[in-house]
Amino acid sequence: MDIIFEIVSVRTFWRMLLFAHFLMAVGLLAAVTLQAVAVMIPVRQTAGNFIDRLRPGPAASYALAVVILYVPTFLLGAWIYIKYRTYVRIPMEQIGQWRTVGAFEWKEHVVTMGMGLLPAYWYFWRQPLSEEHATIRKWLTLFLAFTVWYSFVVGHVANDFRGVGS
Amino acid sequence: MTHTLDVSDATSRFGSSHALDAPTPARSATATTTSRLGTFVITFGIAFVILYTVFERLNWPLFTYHPAVGKLDFWMQRARSGEGPPMYWYGWLALSFPCALLVGWVATMFPPRGLYRATLFCCLLAALWPASFALAVFIADQVSFDAEFLKSIWLSAIPALVAAAAVTWLVSTEWAQRVWMGWLLIMPLGGLVVLGYSLKQYFLR
Repeated sequence: MDIIFEIVSVRTFWRMLLFAHFLMAVGLLAAVTLQAVAVMIPVRQTAGNFIDRLRPGPAASYALAVVILYVPTFLLGAWIYIKYRTYVRIPMEQIGQWRTVGAFEWKEHVVTMGMGLLPAYWYFWRQPLSEEHATIRKWLTLFLAFTVWYSFVVGHVANDFRGVGS
Repeated sequence: MTHTLDVSDATSRFGSSHALDAPTPARSATATTTSRLGTFVITFGIAFVILYTVFERLNWPLFTYHPAVGKLDFWMQRARSGEGPPMYWYGWLALSFPCALLVGWVATMFPPRGLYRATLFCCLLAALWPASFALAVFIADQVSFDAEFLKSIWLSAIPALVAAAAVTWLVSTEWAQRVWMGWLLIMPLGGLVVLGYSLKQYFLR
């Protein structure tokens, strides 16, 4: 770590990590949202109106991207969490931003639940897809989409308090 | 022999699309792997969210990390003067993960009927225990005499255990089988409700 800090400052280092976390989260958000839309409105025929044309491709094609992005985004977030606990949360508490603190506390539980369900999610999206597991597959996807969206929004709020560009 | 029959049963449960029509040795081996994998990931998912919720609520981290001084302590340690705030989240994860792996692995050795009932019992217990505790706290706060002993988390486990055992004994295996995969969604949602409720002080200040 000392070698890194000779090149960049401690503050810049953590900001770079936060930005990498943000970039991965954007990719994950895109993949899981497109998949959630695909499982809610599956493609049945040739695109017609504007909404139909916006409809994403086969839902299964996003599953691997979601798994590959979820794990490193989670791990990087877990690393940055150290900085959040000392550098962000303490000032938040000092000025009484309790709702933001509470929302972030719940975020840690939400992403953990998503992480726990990720192996099952991966299993149910393996090819060939089983028709009898379509319902559980759909709900697992929607649950993961919820975890990613919630974490993204709350993480963004915390970043606005004290992070990149704030 | 029993094990062979169980595996065959599990194959039909998990992967009708993965399982193939012709029972060649190579294909049977693939189907067996799939069924065990399915049992493992489903049980792991259910066990992980339950264990994480329980460890968080009881505050049982495997270790405590003090980020300000970069120090690790085994199990749970309160904040010490001059060492900044302690972090328990890593410790809850570090304990939940191997425990859930172990539960998932053990589940692959269970006969399917036993697995459905064991899952039902554990999930009911996980749901009834906090409900029983909340009820006990409510009663202790309402009655005119001293009933502080009711506020014991361990005492409230007794009615929860009895009720979970009774329901598990009463319901049919078919019903337990039908709801088995559903626990994969019910338990995380329930866990998030419990954990979210525990954070209410942040939103009511």
